[in-house]
Amino acid sequence: MPEPKLNEPILEIRGLRKSFGALAATDDVSLDLRPGEIHALIGPNGAGKSTLIKQIVGEIRPDAGTIRFEGQVIDGLDAAARARLGLARSFQVSSVIPDFTVLQNVMLAVAGASGAVFRFHLPALADRKLTEPALFHIEQAGLAGRHLVPAATLSHGERRKLEIAMALALRPRAFLLDEPMAGMGLEGGRQLTAILAELRNEAPILLVEHDMDAVFALADRISVLVYGRIIATGSVAEIRANPEVRRSYLGEDA
Amino acid sequence: MQQTLNRDTAVNLAIFALLVATALGAHLAGNGFTVTLATKAAIFGLAGVGLNLALGYGGLISFGHAAFFGIGGYITGILASHASTGTPVLSLPFTVMGSNEMLGIWPMAMLAAGLAALVIGALSLRTSGVYFIMVTLAFAQMLYYFAISWPRYGGEDGLSFYVRNSFPGLNTFAPIQYFAICATLLAVALVFTAVVTQSRFGLALQAARQNSQRTVAVGIRPYAIRLTAFVLSGMIVGLAGSLYADLNRFVSPAMLSWHMSGEIMVFVILGGVGRLCGPVAGAALFILLEHVLGGISDYWQALLGLLLLAIVLFAPGGLIGIVTKRGRHA
Repeated sequence: MPEPKLNEPILEIRGLRKSFGALAATDDVSLDLRPGEIHALIGPNGAGKSTLIKQIVGEIRPDAGTIRFEGQVIDGLDAAARARLGLARSFQVSSVIPDFTVLQNVMLAVAGASGAVFRFHLPALADRKLTEPALFHIEQAGLAGRHLVPAATLSHGERRKLEIAMALALRPRAFLLDEPMAGMGLEGGRQLTAILAELRNEAPILLVEHDMDAVFALADRISVLVYGRIIATGSVAEIRANPEVRRSYLGEDA
Repeated sequence: MQQTLNRDTAVNLAIFALLVATALGAHLAGNGFTVTLATKAAIFGLAGVGLNLALGYGGLISFGHAAFFGIGGYITGILASHASTGTPVLSLPFTVMGSNEMLGIWPMAMLAAGLAALVIGALSLRTSGVYFIMVTLAFAQMLYYFAISWPRYGGEDGLSFYVRNSFPGLNTFAPIQYFAICATLLAVALVFTAVVTQSRFGLALQAARQNSQRTVAVGIRPYAIRLTAFVLSGMIVGLAGSLYADLNRFVSPAMLSWHMSGEIMVFVILGGVGRLCGPVAGAALFILLEHVLGGISDYWQALLGLLLLAIVLFAPGGLIGIVTKRGRHA
C-alpha cells in the first residue's frame, strides 16, 4: 500500500461548477477524498452525481473550479491521462470489452496503465508483463479460474468484478465507483460489499451509490448532493441525524 | 480457444495455398490468363487486407480507401513514365528522377499513401459513424476529380506505361513471376497483420472498436491508436495500388473513384470482416464471379449484390465465418 501523506486529501475538488443552459448541474461543489476512506456520494436522481463524476474523470469540462489529484492540478488533463495517474473508475452500467476474454480485458488495463500501448511486435498473450499482473488482479477481484471466459458471457455480478479487476490493474491511487451495487441482488450485493471493504486497503473510494444499506455499512463519510449542491458532509450518524438531509432525500422513515 | 485459433490458422493457410495452387496449376497448363486473374486476386486481396486492418479490427468504416489505392497507382505510373522519358518528376526544391525499379517504387507508393492517410485520418477520425464514412468518401472523391482534371498525367484518359517495372533477378513480364511477387507481398502483409493485431497495439485497437469509453478509462487514447491503424492500412492499400498499376501498366482516375472504395469493402465483407484471410477469399470469389457470371451476363453485379445481401443477413462472418462456424471475431 502506498504511504499516504498525513491528512492530505488524495482528491481535492474546489468550487466546481457546470451548467447546461439554465440548469446548474454542479453548483459550487467542494469535496475531499482522504487517504484510506470510503466517501459516499448520495443524492436523489437528477441531483448531478453523474455530471460530477464525469468532471472528475475528465469526460466533461467544468465551467469553473479546480480538481487536484495527489496535490497536482489535473484540470488540463484528458480522461486517458487521469486514468494513467491512477484515477480508476467503474461505470454505472457495466462497461467491459465484450468480445475479449476476462484476461484480455484486464491485460488491456495493465497495458493502458503502463503507458506503453504502441508495441506492435510481441503477441500480447505471450507478454508476461501483461499476463502476470492481469491474472493477479483477476484473482484479487474474485474471478480466479474465469480468465478464459469471454466477457460477454459473464453474469452481471461477474462483470462488476471484472470492472474492479480492471480498476485494480490501473494501480489506482483513488477509486471512483459509480453505483457498483446497481442490479446486484441480495447475495451479490453482500459479496460486493465485502470486496469494496477490501478495496479501501488499496486506495480510497469515492462511492456513488443508491443502496443505503451498503452506504451505511461501508462509508466513513457521506456527502449529500441535491440539485447540484452539496447540502451536507459528515459521518454516517451525522448524516442520518441531519434534518435537511432527511427532508430532501432520506425520507422521514430513514 | 486454442482449438479455434488452430482452426483459423488452418483455414488461413488453406485459402492462401489455394490461391498459389490455382496460379501454379494454370501456369503448368499454359494458361497465362488464369495466372493473371490469380495475380489480380492477390492484389485485390492485399488491398482488402489493408482495409481490414482499419475496418475489421479498428471498426473504422472508411469509404475512401480508393484514395490510397489510387495514390499508390499514380506514384507508380508517374515514376515509370518519367523513367521511360528520362525526365525528372520534380526539379524543385530537390530533384526526383523517375524509376522503373519496383524496389524503389513500392516504398514511394507506400510513403505517399501513408502521408495521405495521415492527413485524411487526422481530420476524419474527429468524426464517427456516418460522418466518418462521408468524410473519407469526400477526400477520396476530391482526389478523383483532381486526377481527372490534371492533364499532365493523362487526366480523364489515365496514364499508360509500356514496360512493366522491373525486379532484380526476375522477369516481371512472365505472368507466374509477377504472381510470385504479388503473392509474396500478400503473405508478408498477412503475417504483418497477424502480428500487429495480436500485439498490445492490436489489443488496444480492437478494444477501442468495441468500447471506446472503456478504453479511455484504462488510460488509452483511441484517437492515436485509430490514426496509427488508419495510416498502416493506407500504406498496405497503397502498395496494392502500385502492384495493380504494374499489372495493367496503366493507371486511371477509376482507381481513385468511390466504386473502387466500394469494391475493396466488398472483398472484406464477402470474405469476413476482421478475419485475417477473409479479404483474400473475398477478392478471389469476386474475381471468380466476375469471370464466370460476367461471361454469362453483363448484369452479373446484380447477382453479386444478392450474394452480398445474403452474406450480410445470414453469415455476417463472411466466407471465413461459414468455414470456421464462428459468427464473430474476437
